[in-house]
Amino acid sequence: MNFLPFIISGLGIGAVYALSGVGLLVLFRATGVLNFAFGAIGAVGAHVAWQLMEWDYPLALAILAAVLVSTLVSFLYGRFLAPLLSYRDTVVRAVGTLALALFLIALMGVVWGELPRRLQFPTDQMYLTLFGVRLTFTRIIALVLAIVVVGGITVLLGTTRLGLDMRALANDRDLSAILGVRITRTETAAWIITGIFAGLGGLLLADLVRLQGTFLTFLVIPAIAAAILGQLRSLWVTAFAGLGIGVAEALLTPIDWISPYRSATPFVIALIAVMILGSTAQAALKDR
Amino acid sequence: MKLRLAAIAAGLAFIVMSAGGASAAAVCGEGTGQAATGEPIVIGAITGKTGPDDFSNSTRAAKAYFDCLNANGGIHGRPVQYMVEDDQWNPEIAAQLAAKLVDDQKAVLMVGNSSFVECGANADFYKKSGITVVAGVGVPRECFFASAIAPTNAGPRVSMLGAMGYALDQLGAKSVVCIGPNIPNVGSWSCDGVMLLAKEKGFPASTILIDQGSADSTSVMLQAASSNPDVIVLGMSKGSAVPLLVAAEEQGLNEKIKFVSAASAYDLSVPETIGPGWDGRFYVNMEFNDLEATTPDNQNWLAVMDEYGQKSDPRDTFAQAGYLAARIAEKALMSIDPANITRETAGKAVADIKAFESDIFCAPWYFGADQPRHNANSTTRMAVSEGGKWKVVSDCAPSPDPELADIRAFEKSAGITQ
Repeated sequence: MNFLPFIISGLGIGAVYALSGVGLLVLFRATGVLNFAFGAIGAVGAHVAWQLMEWDYPLALAILAAVLVSTLVSFLYGRFLAPLLSYRDTVVRAVGTLALALFLIALMGVVWGELPRRLQFPTDQMYLTLFGVRLTFTRIIALVLAIVVVGGITVLLGTTRLGLDMRALANDRDLSAILGVRITRTETAAWIITGIFAGLGGLLLADLVRLQGTFLTFLVIPAIAAAILGQLRSLWVTAFAGLGIGVAEALLTPIDWISPYRSATPFVIALIAVMILGSTAQAALKDR
Repeated sequence: MKLRLAAIAAGLAFIVMSAGGASAAAVCGEGTGQAATGEPIVIGAITGKTGPDDFSNSTRAAKAYFDCLNANGGIHGRPVQYMVEDDQWNPEIAAQLAAKLVDDQKAVLMVGNSSFVECGANADFYKKSGITVVAGVGVPRECFFASAIAPTNAGPRVSMLGAMGYALDQLGAKSVVCIGPNIPNVGSWSCDGVMLLAKEKGFPASTILIDQGSADSTSVMLQAASSNPDVIVLGMSKGSAVPLLVAAEEQGLNEKIKFVSAASAYDLSVPETIGPGWDGRFYVNMEFNDLEATTPDNQNWLAVMDEYGQKSDPRDTFAQAGYLAARIAEKALMSIDPANITRETAGKAVADIKAFESDIFCAPWYFGADQPRHNANSTTRMAVSEGGKWKVVSDCAPSPDPELADIRAFEKSAGITQ
């Protein structure tokens, strides 16, 4: 069996998992919130893009609107609702985002329904042929975007004042407050960054996978699995883990006995990761 | 458009006589125009409304037809009290609801049922209770292998084999890959039929069962293409078929391989969604007539939906199925003494139906009295995606499913010609 084509096929979605994982991680590190609504926020943006393209607006505008809407939703929740839970447990704060996810699923269901839709970009038609598989430019864009974003965030955290504040918050929230880190502003910035990531990830997943609210909402799971593999700390490990999950899922396709169950891959990987890394992840959570 | 003009014309004609009548006149029952006022006849239905998907279009259409019937004299003056319950895709709830409708409400028939879980949960109960089910849409195998349940639709397997037959006869299929959902008694059942036919006719075939929740359609298509088939048969719901086709187009497979599908992908939105890359390349099986067919009974179905249904009720194949189930029940009940409508007499009247004619079916529908299973609808059409619409490309043809041997033998012995 030739596995090479499947590696190529897994890279595109893996790249979006990586992007989403990093988006989750930036927020978690700065605010301590594991954002279960990440997929839903992206899905809302993708639906907006589809709607605008349906109304014959130009592609660039549709993409811009999608990212703006996702960012806005993320900002509104992060600025006005999330702070209400800021002194509660990590678990409570994560469950709060679940409420947002359910609300957004319902909203998308009412406005757009659950019919399958197709979001297409011109880059879907352009491709390179590698090992007999077409690697579309959309997938290449996803890969490049993932690398650029991880690099960009690394620079942001390492060299800017905002990055310093975020790292300070990640280390010790109360101490940072005493030292004069503006918590609300820093946290809101993190929500905006994660919103942009959600918007971009949602657009790419809607194109590569399918445009369906519920479905896209649950694609947050592989991203969470990637973040857990990165021990909720390392951006680069999270990015590679996301890529790895995408490729692993694709690689299981030609293996007959496991193929029908391969969509469980992210869950199994996350479970194993929790078992192996459990103690360290626990430590990361205690830091908060 | 033609339909709309006709509807407007008819609406103008009727607007004087009936306020709000905005479509061609629906014909139901005795067409008396008098509301039925007698003692109600209780008919039950179980549908999967809330859950992974909304299957209630069948019962919505049946309800519209019964409302029309009740407004037109009912069953010899007796109205039908149609009680629809939602099983929420939960077999346990489906069983409770069946007990409620059959034991507590004393339903005489079940009509228009459309559920993914109900047949498996309730087939034995229906048999023991002596109630007959004229189902709207049967999906899993259990709906077609029960003595008390007779669906109006063909079912995923017969439909898939109908598509396979077309691929063999018209598309020159020599090597086939079947892709179905990994749901027991649905996906494997359907693809097993293709494998069985392949063995009989001696062409290479293989099966890929997939999780409908899988995000990675490209790998599935690569896997399917790796054995170099000239035809790929899909048995997926429309929600999963579209991403597979998108992935196939991305890999340029639409230019090399013909794609055919069971009726599960027959939805008016699909051709436009998948786009021009599939023009003349994606074929679906149809369990019923074209949704926009201008034949009399199909037009009557649309008129009933317009006059008695909700505007938001979908006009899809499930709705056709529910309409037909309601009409079959009406035909049976009309044939018996209205003072003596019981579960036994109603069941017997349905069992006595040997040829129910409608242009929505390919061939007359029959129940098949005393048969261990029922699959009267086994003759289907094909359509192809063309310019954002479905274009019907074949006449009615019997499905070549080898498993229909018993059905065909019964039809022969009973003198029913398909």
